[in-house]
Amino acid sequence: MPDPGPSQGSGHDRATRRLWPALALPGTLWLVALFVVPFYAVMAIAFSGRINIFNEPLPAWNPLDWESSTFTTVITDSFTPSGAYHEVWVRTAIYSFWALVICVAIGYPVAYYTARLAGKRRGLILALILAPWWINYITRMLAWVNLLQDDGYVNKALGLFGIPPHSWLSGSSFTVVWALAYGYVPYFIIPLFASLDRIDQRLLEASRDLGVGGVRTFLHITLPLSRMGLITALVITALPMAGDYYTNTIVSGSPNTNMVGNQIELFLLEGPQKNIGAGLVLLLSLVLMFFMFYYLVLTQRASREATR
Amino acid sequence: MSFDPNDPALRRRRPRPQLARRDVLRGGLWLAVGVGAAPLLAACGNDQTSETANSSAPYQLARPDKPVTLAIKDSNPPIANGLSPEEGGTFNILNYADYMAPGIMKDFGKEHNVSVQVTPYNNYDEMLAKIRQPGESFDLVFPGPSVLSKMVFADLLQPLNHSYVPHLKNVWPEYQNPWYDQGARYTAPYTIYGTGVMYRADRVKSVPEMGYDLIWDKQYAGKVYVLDDRQEAIAMSLLRNHISDDINTSNPDDVKRATDSLIELIGLVNVKTDINAYSEVPEGTATVHQCWSGDVIAGQYYLPKKETPEVLGYWRPDDTDYVVGSDNIAIPKSAKKPVLAHMLINDLLDNKIGLRNFGWNGYQPPLTKLSAKYLTDQGYIPQNLANSVVVRSDFDKGHTFYEVSPSTEALWQTNWARFKAGA
Repeated sequence: MPDPGPSQGSGHDRATRRLWPALALPGTLWLVALFVVPFYAVMAIAFSGRINIFNEPLPAWNPLDWESSTFTTVITDSFTPSGAYHEVWVRTAIYSFWALVICVAIGYPVAYYTARLAGKRRGLILALILAPWWINYITRMLAWVNLLQDDGYVNKALGLFGIPPHSWLSGSSFTVVWALAYGYVPYFIIPLFASLDRIDQRLLEASRDLGVGGVRTFLHITLPLSRMGLITALVITALPMAGDYYTNTIVSGSPNTNMVGNQIELFLLEGPQKNIGAGLVLLLSLVLMFFMFYYLVLTQRASREATR
Repeated sequence: MSFDPNDPALRRRRPRPQLARRDVLRGGLWLAVGVGAAPLLAACGNDQTSETANSSAPYQLARPDKPVTLAIKDSNPPIANGLSPEEGGTFNILNYADYMAPGIMKDFGKEHNVSVQVTPYNNYDEMLAKIRQPGESFDLVFPGPSVLSKMVFADLLQPLNHSYVPHLKNVWPEYQNPWYDQGARYTAPYTIYGTGVMYRADRVKSVPEMGYDLIWDKQYAGKVYVLDDRQEAIAMSLLRNHISDDINTSNPDDVKRATDSLIELIGLVNVKTDINAYSEVPEGTATVHQCWSGDVIAGQYYLPKKETPEVLGYWRPDDTDYVVGSDNIAIPKSAKKPVLAHMLINDLLDNKIGLRNFGWNGYQPPLTKLSAKYLTDQGYIPQNLANSVVVRSDFDKGHTFYEVSPSTEALWQTNWARFKAGA
């Protein structure tokens, strides 16, 4: 048996040093296979104007072959007020904004209650929040179509209070915003709950001991400490919302409520202009990445402050 | 609402290239996984097929006044005469979802000891992608005139051997020798249809002579639908507004004006788009719905209890203004059971089996025997909807969508996108 000298310790270190990157390998491969490569493919299609006779885009894999004319048109049509896609971008932003406001208004109290006040019922409430995930998103939306029909239960229920029936499904932005909020609010509550749950109870007790009232404790302790959780929840909810196109299709179906996802779908599903669809995907990704980047900056700053 | 896929009463529309619930599911997954994956996969196949840089196609585009005889190459001959049918294994059909009566497929499978499987697609781009997958084999496919030439050009189909399809004589003479496939070398006809307006007769007091005006009528606001199909919707506007008689026009001005008139509908009636006229008019969600004639025939099975087909109405344009179309059956080159495929085509052209299939999917096969009178007498169509049966003169004088150049397709799509953006 060789002498277990000091080399053993450093050998162990070396092994560990190799182990950690190795553990990251599956994740890295996953990211490359399902994000980097597809994203590059989107770019290769967005920057290529060529198709074959089957309407399939011929990607320009070599960046030297890239033509930017389609993408430039997509950008112009998106961001100039008279552009063809301008409306859908504005609508996407407005719908996402209001749906997020509703998510905060509904989700924050629920998360707060569950984390702080639910006591024994906490498990039950969490289970109820997660329950919709047992049912497919589309199925839940289709269920709303039945409820919101002219002679559906929603109008019947309103009738009990003497409110005249409303055509909820006749292409109304109001319905779409509420449907988005309804669909995504569980995604909002869970991360927020996790962050509220982690707040040290003793800080709140200290605040009380120092004679600060409930409202001020919330504003000065709970809210700042849950800020990162709130932002995470907003990001997680906003990302899929901005690319959504099936919610409005199901509960409205009117061109009046179409979002950027609908335009993407229109170009990608069939026809000779998949490069326009790819261009819109790219643009949407860039817009979302901008917010994502801002989020990352915030998290970095927060963790630096925490360790200071 | 109960849902039994085997329910013969559950008749389906002709699926078309737009958002069906199935698309939504698939598409949702698509966006979620990373939007790039699908076009990437579609594009990965190494392409020997020439690119069309928006120029003319490498084959002749078929037109009724310029009929096309599709070439039969030595390298791709029809099967020999008198072969015995294959047995065992699966018989693979590439088709729109719910476009063939399950009972017919089941009986066919039982008779020939094969299990019949359907691989569904939602539009021709998807069908082409599937049929071109290396190593894939399908025994039957349903290409319309607008994709036929390119499929033959790319050797995706095999010629028919007419000795296996004696029932071809049951179809209208023009479909024994159609303009898009002279001599019916590669195809047999499957269904024919027209485009009109389905409405609730109990709510629509009077139907104007130009029935499309119902769609531009404010009093039905919130309950007005156009087909979620760029060709059908824009063509309707071209004809209704007398912009052009050419529903395949490549004139940017005409397409733009037609689209602008559609865009007016957003403010005027808050128009909605889908392809579910067959259920929405009977259920009352829609009062006025641009539709295919097959939707009207299927519609009677979607009426709420206690309502009779009299509440439904169908307006169709004069035959000179009627937009009509047809779908075909063909055998892919990759077929592993080509003899059985010929036999199933022959079955579908049988008057009895054709009628059974019609009874299930609502779309009419061009069988000479199945006239409007015959179908109403047999109780397949209520008297008040008999005008939904398309007749031969419709095809003589009406309009049909052809295969157009990619640049024309792009022109229409870009305008359609303008409408869909609700601008």
